[in-house]
Amino acid sequence: MIPFSILFEQLVNGLVLGSMYALVASGLTLIWGTMKMLNFAHGELFMLGGFGIYIGMVSFHLPIWLALPLVMICIFILAALIEKALISPLLKRPDWDVSAVVVTLGIGIFIQNFAFKIWGGDFRNVPYVFEGTLNFLGMRLAWHRVYILVMTLVVLVGFWQVMKRTRFGMAMRATSFDADTATLMGIATRRIYTITFGLSACLAALAGTALAPIFSVNPWMGLAPLIKGFIVVILGGLGSFAGAIIAGFIIGISETFSVLFLPSGWKDIISFVLLIVVLVIRPQGLLGKKEW
Amino acid sequence: MLKVENLDVFYGDAQAIWGLSLEVFSGDICTLVGANGGGKTTFLKTICGLLNVRKGSIFLDGEDLVAVKAEDRVSLGLSMSPEGRKIFSNMTVEENLIIGAYTQKAWKKKNDQLEKTFERFPRLKERRKQMGGTLSGGELQMLSIGRALMSEPKMLLMDEPSLGLAPKAVEHVMELIQSINKEGVTILLVEQNVNVALQIARHGYVIESGKIVMHDKAESLITNDHVKEAYLGL
Repeated sequence: MIPFSILFEQLVNGLVLGSMYALVASGLTLIWGTMKMLNFAHGELFMLGGFGIYIGMVSFHLPIWLALPLVMICIFILAALIEKALISPLLKRPDWDVSAVVVTLGIGIFIQNFAFKIWGGDFRNVPYVFEGTLNFLGMRLAWHRVYILVMTLVVLVGFWQVMKRTRFGMAMRATSFDADTATLMGIATRRIYTITFGLSACLAALAGTALAPIFSVNPWMGLAPLIKGFIVVILGGLGSFAGAIIAGFIIGISETFSVLFLPSGWKDIISFVLLIVVLVIRPQGLLGKKEW
Repeated sequence: MLKVENLDVFYGDAQAIWGLSLEVFSGDICTLVGANGGGKTTFLKTICGLLNVRKGSIFLDGEDLVAVKAEDRVSLGLSMSPEGRKIFSNMTVEENLIIGAYTQKAWKKKNDQLEKTFERFPRLKERRKQMGGTLSGGELQMLSIGRALMSEPKMLLMDEPSLGLAPKAVEHVMELIQSINKEGVTILLVEQNVNVALQIARHGYVIESGKIVMHDKAESLITNDHVKEAYLGL
């Protein structure tokens, strides 16, 4: 019998991991839902978040409350420029969705090598935002993990509320459902696309900043989250924001619990097996809509 | 109010509209009738800016619409209830209406406008929290028209509002169009249901294969031999 405290710790670890998957995947699903394209540069935006927080906190010794918003603003601007310059010209051209895949793949490769050229291949460590551990009913919980959980929760709930209640959020939902009809309402759908791409990048980068202290920062750190992100998005249902969050937590928790019973090398297999099982039963994913 | 001259529109290489000229007078109900595939929807989409003009001009109250982006045409007083209603079924009835008041100017008055719309359509008020996708055909049409009116347009474009409705509901929609017109909104009604459209309109145009083949007062068109034979089944 596994002691309760270990189960609890694994649950918390699962929630932390799941919240990161949820952040990365909600960014991917946001782009799919609105622009109907896959963004293969998503992992590199995650990586830029990691480097951003490294530069802010280690190079410039900025406090987190200053470094984090600065990184977010820079990433938003960078992503919006990328969308305007490279993706927007493709939209509405024949076969543009295929071109978009190739272009985002190219953007990803470029950013990765750019990072390697500028910062080199060293694995860099970023200090924890909050040092120490929380002792709770005989269980130890690193404050940094608590921070990750709370931050993800605040961001996702905040985002949800923006989508639900604000003029901008409604415009985004309308655009994702039917861009032409949204245009008839007076919504500048091209601008919505640009902002969506920027916000999506921020969600990925935010996960990058949060994970930077746990894994070290390097130019290749974006690959694993990208692949996991796609698994989560497909498991949750392409385009479904809620689906991505739920699936993120499901995968996160199953991975951490699998370590209790299986060698840790099996961790990645678990998520793929889960994905295959769900797709066999529900091809559209957990909360996806049937498209046929 | 709306003046279109020598309009050419293409889908890729295929020409869909040929040298179309049309004028809608302020306060009028004007109808554009014709068979399926004649270019009616293409024409309305072009007016709204969803399709590009290859040649020709579109003026709304003297303003050159071709130079204005599609999304900015709403603020100039143009609004459309598109073919097939095009309700956002991922949003509630109330949200569908509110998004109709998206423009800067209309957004400030959205709550008053919402109340007005609910007065006009009590059925929509009953269903305000329901998702758009759960409504019946007639209710969807009401929602589509209500949404188009939320921006307080000067000119309302309507694409086949009678499509797929039972005769009773068609009658209701036509009465509705007349009452909206009486409130001062100029209407361009595109219809396949030639009979009902010509009955409520003052002026009518007949479009065939992307060209205007006839235009006249609606009451004259309804007695015209070609119209009778081709569209009224008489």
